[in-house]
Amino acid sequence: MKRIGPLIVERRLAPPRHVVFGVSVLAVVVALLLAALVFWAYGVSPWRAYAEIGRGTLGTVGGLSDIVRRAIPLILCGVGLTLAFRAQFWNIGAEGQLLAGAVAASGVALFLRVPDVLRLPLVFLAGFGAGAVWAVIPALLRVKLQVNEVISTLMMNYIMAYIVEWLVHGPWKGPTMRGFAYTDMFPVAARLPLIAGTRVHWPTLAVGVAAALVVGLILSRTRLGYEVRVVGQSPDAARYAGISFTTVLALTMVVSGGLAALAGVGEVAGIHWRLRSPSHISMGYGYTAIIVAWLARGSPVAAILTALLFGLIFAAGDLMKSTLGLPFQITGVFNGLILFSLISSDLLMYWRIRWGKKGEAWT
Amino acid sequence: MNVRKLWLLVAALVMGGLLAMGADKIKAGFIYVGPIGDYGWTHAHDVARRIVDEQYDWLETVYIESVPEGEVETYIDQLVRQGCNVIFTTSFGFIDGTFAAAQRYPNVIFAHASGFKRAPNMATYMADFYQVYYLNGLMAGALTKTGKIGYVGAFPIPELKRHISAFTIGVREVNPTAEVHVRWIYEWYNPAAAKEATEALIAEGCDVFAFTEDSPTVIQVAAERGLASFAHYSPMYAFAPDYVVSGQLVHWEVIYDDFLVKVHEGVYTNKNLTHVDYWWLLAQKAAELGAEIGMPVNPQYVAPLQGYVIDHPTFGRISVYDLVFVRYNQMADPGITFDPFEGPVYDRKGNLVVPAGMWMSYDHLITMEWAADGVVGPWPGEP
Repeated sequence: MKRIGPLIVERRLAPPRHVVFGVSVLAVVVALLLAALVFWAYGVSPWRAYAEIGRGTLGTVGGLSDIVRRAIPLILCGVGLTLAFRAQFWNIGAEGQLLAGAVAASGVALFLRVPDVLRLPLVFLAGFGAGAVWAVIPALLRVKLQVNEVISTLMMNYIMAYIVEWLVHGPWKGPTMRGFAYTDMFPVAARLPLIAGTRVHWPTLAVGVAAALVVGLILSRTRLGYEVRVVGQSPDAARYAGISFTTVLALTMVVSGGLAALAGVGEVAGIHWRLRSPSHISMGYGYTAIIVAWLARGSPVAAILTALLFGLIFAAGDLMKSTLGLPFQITGVFNGLILFSLISSDLLMYWRIRWGKKGEAWT
Repeated sequence: MNVRKLWLLVAALVMGGLLAMGADKIKAGFIYVGPIGDYGWTHAHDVARRIVDEQYDWLETVYIESVPEGEVETYIDQLVRQGCNVIFTTSFGFIDGTFAAAQRYPNVIFAHASGFKRAPNMATYMADFYQVYYLNGLMAGALTKTGKIGYVGAFPIPELKRHISAFTIGVREVNPTAEVHVRWIYEWYNPAAAKEATEALIAEGCDVFAFTEDSPTVIQVAAERGLASFAHYSPMYAFAPDYVVSGQLVHWEVIYDDFLVKVHEGVYTNKNLTHVDYWWLLAQKAAELGAEIGMPVNPQYVAPLQGYVIDHPTFGRISVYDLVFVRYNQMADPGITFDPFEGPVYDRKGNLVVPAGMWMSYDHLITMEWAADGVVGPWPGEP
C-alpha cells in the first residue's frame, strides 16, 4: 500500500471477474482510440475506418467466417497453453509443436498407403502424436536436467521450422511443383471438409471447442487437474503430497503439444492442402496463442473467447490493408497497440486506487 | 427523316458510345507477397503498376501488400467485392488460391506471375533474366583476378539454378577455368544472412559478386573490401558507384501494359486466356542489362572490359566489352539468333544436357535442376 496525496494505491489479491472484464474492455477501447489517432494522422477518417472494419468483419458472413477461421488454430494452441501455464510450465513452443503436427499430417496425407476412410483420422492421430513428442522433450529436459523450458521450447521452434524448410526443399519437394519448394497437393481424402461457402474447416473447430471444455473439466473436476494445479503452485507441496512431478508435467505437455499440433493439422489439411514454407503455414499462431492463453487467465473455456478476439484483430488487419489501402505496417501498429494496452492493463487489475481515510497510516 | 430525328439518332449513338466506354473501365487489383518497400520483386511490380496506372485514364489500380500465401483467396474475395475486374497475383505460392478463385469468379480476369496453371479466365506471365545473367557472367569472368566469383542465392529453385548456370556459362566463355562459388541463404530478403554469405565467399577467395536477394547488401559488403559486384532486380548503382559493374533490371510494366490494353480492347476476355502465357525476356524489353536504367555498363568498367581480349571461337579476337554488346544484340533483336544455353552444354557432372546446336525448350528452362560446369558448392535437388 502506498499513499500519494489523498489517494491510496493498494494491491488486490484476486481481482473479481467484473473488474477483469471491465478493465480489459477499457484497454481495448483505449487502444482503439490510440489507433484512431494513427488512422487520422495517416489521412483516413477514423469513423470511416472503424465503420469499414465493423462492416467487413462482423457485418458479413464472409467476415465472420474469416474471424472463426483465424481463431481455430488460436483456440487449439491457446487451450493447450492454458493447461501448461496452470502447471507453471512456460511452454513458448506452441509454434514448433504446431509445425510438428503439420509435418506429421503431411507425411500421412501424402505418403502413407491406407484406405481413404482411415486417412483423415490417421492424419489427426499422427499430428497429435508428433506435437506430443516434440513437447514432451523439453518437459523431460526440465525434470531430469533442470533445463529452463522457456529457452528449450523456444529453440525447438527454430529446429522444427528448419525441418519443415528442409523437407519442402529436399525429400518432400513435390514432383508436380516444377522445382518450387512445396509438397504436392494432398489427395482429396486427406482434406478437411469446409462449412459450405466459407474456408472454415469445421472438424478442427469442433475438436478445439471440445478440447477447451474437456481440459476445463479436467482442471476443475479431476484428480489430474488438481495435481496439475498443485505442481504449478508449489512443487514442494506436490512432492510432499506424493504427486509425481515427472508424470504430471509429461502428461500436461503431451496434451499441450498435441493440441497445438492439431492446429497445424488444421492449417495444412484445411487451408493449404500441402506443406509449404513455415512462415506461410502458421503466421505466428503459436506465439499469438501465448497471449490468448494469458488473457484467458488460465481458463481453457475463456481461451475460446480470447482466440475469437484475436481472430477479429487479424481479420480487421486484413481489411485495413485491402479496403482502406493502409500499408501493412499500420496493421502491425494496430495489432501492437491492442496487445500493449491489454497487457499493461494488468497493472490496473491487481492494483486499485481509492481515497485515503483521514489519518490512515502508511505501510 | 427530318433533321430533328437525325439529331436524336446522333445523340443516342453518342450516349450509347459513352455508356460503352464507361463499361470498359478497368479496375485492376494487384496482390503482392512482400512489402512494396522491399527493393526487389514486390517493389518492381509496384513501380510497374504505378506506370500503367498513370498511362491510361480508363484504368484504376489498387494493391494489397504482404499477403501470406495461404491467405490469397481471402484477399481476392475482398478485391472482387471492391469491383476489381482484373486481378494480378504476383507470387508462385498464390497459384492454387488464384486458380480456385478463377473458378469461383468466372467473370473476373486473373493473371498469375511465374506459375503454370491457366484457365479460360486465368493467364500466366513472367519476365526472366537468364539472358542478362549470361551477359553479367561475361563481364564477371573478365574482371576476376582470383578466378573465383561469389554468388549469394536465395533459394535453390529452378529460376535461380537457371540464372546461376547462365551466369556461369558466360563466365566460362571468357575465362574457361574460373569458378562460381554459390551460397544459399533460404530467404528472399535477409540482409544479415546475405552479409554473412558474402563474407564467407570473400574468405574463400572470391573477388567478384552476383546475387539473388532483395537488398543491396552483397554490393555494400563487397564494396567495403573494394570488390566488384552486379546489381539484382532494382537500380542499385547508387549504393556503390565505384564497384557496381552492371546488373539486371526488370520492366514488368511492358507486360502489364500489353495485358491490360488487350483486355481493354477486348482481345483478352474471360473466355480465351487458357493459352496466354507471357515469357518475356530481353527482346520484349521486359528485362534490361545494367545497374541503372539506361546504363548497361558502369563507365568506370568500360576500359578494363575493353582491355580484356579473348580468342573467341565464333568472333575471333574480341574484347569482352564488345562481346557483351554483340551477344546483347543477338538476344535483344526480335529475331533472336543466340541463346546462352545453346548446345552443346554439359552439366558439372559431365552429362550432356543440351545437344549440339539445340536450344532448351521453355518447359526445360523453367524446370531446370542441373548445374552448369564451373558451379561450385551445394546444389539441392541436383539430378
